[in-house]
Amino acid sequence: MNAHEAPAAAVSLREDQVTLGLWMFLGTVTMLFAAFTSAYVVRRSGSDWRHVALPSILWLNSAILAASSLALEAARLNGDRRRWRGAIAAVLIAFALGLGFLAGQVTAWRQMAAAGVYLPTSPHSAFFFMMTGAHAVHVVAALVVLAWGAVATVQGAREPRTWASRMTLCRTFWHYLGLVWLMLFALVSLY
Amino acid sequence: MAPQTVTVTAPGHHGFVRRYIFSTDHKIIGIQYIVTGLVMALLGAALAALIRLQLGWPDRTWPWLETLLPEGFRSGVMAPEFYLAVVTMHGTIMVFFFISFVLVSGFGNYLVPLHVGARDMAFPFLNMLSYWIALLSALVLILSFFVTGGAAAAGWTAYPPLSAIASAVPGSQMGQSIWLLSMALFIASFTMSGLNIVATVLSVRAPGMSMMRMPLTVWTYFVASILGLLAFPPLTAAAVMLLFDRHLGTSFFLPSGLIVANKLVPATGGSPLLWQHLFWFLGHPEVYVLLLPALGVASDIMPAFTRKPIFGYRMSVYCLMAVGALSMIVWGHHMFVSGMSPFSGEYFSLVTLTITVPMTIFGVNMLASLWGARLQLASPMLFVCGVIALFGSGGLGGLFLGNATADMQLHDTYFVVGHFHMMIGGVTLLATFAAIYFWFPKMFGRMMNETLAKAHFWLTFAPFFTIFFMQHFLGLQGAPRRYYAFTAFDYLQKTRGQNLVISLAAFLLVSAQFLFIINFVWSLAKGRVAEANPWRATTLEWTVPSPPPHGNFESVPTVERWAYEYGVPVAGGDFAVQTVPGDEAPVTA
Amino acid sequence: MAADGIRVAIRATVIRRLEGSLVAALFAGTAIVGALYGARAWLPTLASRHGAGIDSMLNYLLVTVGALFVTGYLALAYFIWRGSRRDAIGPRFAGRRTEILLSAALGVGMAIVAEGGVIAIGMPVWAEYFDAAPPADATVVEVTAQQFMWNVRYPGPDGVFGRTDPRRVDDTANPLGMDRSDPAGKDDIVTLNEITVPFGPAVHILLHSKDVIHSFFLPNFRVKQDAVPGMTPEVVFFPTRTGTFEIACAELCGLAHYRMRGTFNVVSQKEFTEWLRKQ
Repeated sequence: MNAHEAPAAAVSLREDQVTLGLWMFLGTVTMLFAAFTSAYVVRRSGSDWRHVALPSILWLNSAILAASSLALEAARLNGDRRRWRGAIAAVLIAFALGLGFLAGQVTAWRQMAAAGVYLPTSPHSAFFFMMTGAHAVHVVAALVVLAWGAVATVQGAREPRTWASRMTLCRTFWHYLGLVWLMLFALVSLY
Repeated sequence: MAPQTVTVTAPGHHGFVRRYIFSTDHKIIGIQYIVTGLVMALLGAALAALIRLQLGWPDRTWPWLETLLPEGFRSGVMAPEFYLAVVTMHGTIMVFFFISFVLVSGFGNYLVPLHVGARDMAFPFLNMLSYWIALLSALVLILSFFVTGGAAAAGWTAYPPLSAIASAVPGSQMGQSIWLLSMALFIASFTMSGLNIVATVLSVRAPGMSMMRMPLTVWTYFVASILGLLAFPPLTAAAVMLLFDRHLGTSFFLPSGLIVANKLVPATGGSPLLWQHLFWFLGHPEVYVLLLPALGVASDIMPAFTRKPIFGYRMSVYCLMAVGALSMIVWGHHMFVSGMSPFSGEYFSLVTLTITVPMTIFGVNMLASLWGARLQLASPMLFVCGVIALFGSGGLGGLFLGNATADMQLHDTYFVVGHFHMMIGGVTLLATFAAIYFWFPKMFGRMMNETLAKAHFWLTFAPFFTIFFMQHFLGLQGAPRRYYAFTAFDYLQKTRGQNLVISLAAFLLVSAQFLFIINFVWSLAKGRVAEANPWRATTLEWTVPSPPPHGNFESVPTVERWAYEYGVPVAGGDFAVQTVPGDEAPVTA
Repeated sequence: MAADGIRVAIRATVIRRLEGSLVAALFAGTAIVGALYGARAWLPTLASRHGAGIDSMLNYLLVTVGALFVTGYLALAYFIWRGSRRDAIGPRFAGRRTEILLSAALGVGMAIVAEGGVIAIGMPVWAEYFDAAPPADATVVEVTAQQFMWNVRYPGPDGVFGRTDPRRVDDTANPLGMDRSDPAGKDDIVTLNEITVPFGPAVHILLHSKDVIHSFFLPNFRVKQDAVPGMTPEVVFFPTRTGTFEIACAELCGLAHYRMRGTFNVVSQKEFTEWLRKQ
């Protein structure tokens, strides 16, 4: 043994542990958004509640995020059939669409600000900015994970098992955030 | 699942910094947490002494303290704003930075992998990260004493609007924001640590270590960590919302028409009760996060000194699960007089009192574990006896406070202060000491001094019980908590003598802790060298040298039995460590 | 050498027993001293009707919990004393049946003590206190808490409170922000830190807060209600004796929380009319 070896991180992580860790993490994220949601429902009954107009680009953003999830599924199907070029293309599209979603969200915030709707304008806008902001932060984290999955896809031909396990993690996280977005969007526009 | 390949590295291999500072070894991280927590406890105890100084002698001046704390003791008198900051910081430090650090994260880190027969936590790097973030959160909190307006002063519960409006109390200027920031960091760190413990229990148990063979310690950390994972995120959400209210002009918690310091606050329509719901949704499970490990550790120390299995292991495990589940749905019992609907009050009252059922069974199982024992009252066992006693008196006090009708008179009085100090102050404190006296030989390879330890027990239990038992009766007399002095009210004049006695006992309690510090430091250097298994105990950590090497076990142990195989006929002893095969000693479970 | 060994063993046994007795005495003594200390009339003099119910709840708990406390501590003391004189353990297990029976007995027992107390004694008091509609002849008083005083307002002969508006508030000239143009407010009576009510009818308090959360605490009346800004909780209770009592704030509200004191006078109907006239 020599000094260049990684220090006792010699205990390498197993696939099932990482999956377990991810699910527990998603559990805590769920509790976070559940708290925001219940606070929203409680605050909704306040006398000063006023719905602000939400920019229509949010529909586009939702479509982008959905398309991104589909692209990620396409990547998995391609990889499963060992069509690596298709898989790489699909995962890059998914990643790019993820970035597109973020850009779209920023645009939505800017449009609202331009229309004179800021965080303190109304409780509705406060919740909107806070919850979509919290969601965006998680999307950024998920994009990092997605990049890690993309690297695995590029090397997929050499290490299909690593690819498969990372892809499962990426899909879980990404679809989960898509779902959270749908619920948030429904909450802020319908209730 | 195939066991992973592991390289156990030789000691002294990676240099001091990698091994002892930025270590990923769960034992080092555990000790880091414990030492940090003990240092924070000194600060917390000093703050407690200041509180008792003020309440014991409300009209005296302390010129020498003015030289020490010129801001807090202008012309020798403690300033009310300083008093409130001290109360807030005492609570925050003791709950989050002493008990959580030492007992939950510290011993959790140290014991869980060893107890389940793992080489390390499931995510060692995450573990290291969680410690450094925790340390950062502690430093940030201390920093808040030095900002304009001083540290946060709205109590550890930080109820808005008091905590939201800078002009409401000096501590709500910069101090409260820093307090919230520190909490956010703490939550991040605690979530990582809790996630790690749950993953460790679920994924790296040694072969043969079925869930129902795990020591109760592991069970309690497991349940406590799950509670932490579920309960902390809502507090994060609440902290973000409060920060927004404070700095970005939102009004989540601020209603319309507030007039603070003769100025109209622009907020509209928010709900102060919303904060209380979010806070106590965390706050109540949090007390079980602290309490359960204390009970688990005490339960597991006991059999080494009674020489027989603990009573009702299975039932105790079921009780832990029941308590964990119930603790998530009872938060409203902190809000009986808050203006919440009286109907919810009845619901929360009934559900809260349901908790007495599993907790009584657990407590009596601890007591019954002494039945038929051949008792050796070594220092860890003395402290465990104290844990059982305080758990009894603290738990019984809960019958008053969980009862909405009784709580109408007792809410926010010293009865509450006495009650929660018995539980998350006393049970946890004594369990922490029991754990340190018990596992110190394993951690540092040396024994602690037994005489000093026993003296420490007597001088801790007696004043502790006196203080908090008497506080229950202050509460019955109607003495509200968080009062800077009891001098302004006629009906509280007769509490002066009681407060003086409590203060004297508190100073005795704080002074007695020097016995512990001396013992700790002296034993580190000069203590008698410990064997691998000085207490003749059965759990896996006692099968490896003291202190255990990096990687814990030379080869992954195979577990053959449960953790309480005491009182069995074995060659040369009366117990069988969990790895002893079935043909050498009878297997109970 | 053998004799030495025996002497050491005897010494160890003696010390073990002595320590056991001492620790047992600690817990037994704690139980006895604790029970003696606790068995006194701690509650402030009672002055309200529903308060009698709260007191019986508290007394029920003091007795049952006190008994459980003493029993538990004496059992602990006995086990410690007995255990430190044993040279070998008793039976390893009590048997599964015993464990389950003990748990079941304890569970049911505690449920009866705890839940039974709430259902039998607590709930009726709770319901009486909260659910009863305020009687028509109740003395209506509005209490507005602020750092660090209690603003008190009576509706006056017309029985109607005048309009208030936070924008009109001035802490010295108009602490409640009353609208002087509202005729209903003309006869309102405003006092500071002092509530006077007649003995006989119920007291009906409308609670407000101007700034932070306070808690309206009348120790003698067993009344405690948080004054939450943005909400108007109401309190109804019947005084049962005349006299002067204290109002304390029971929710941390800032620097002078500890001296946010008011007085609550219950006077005869005649004295009350007199008092009203003087205002």
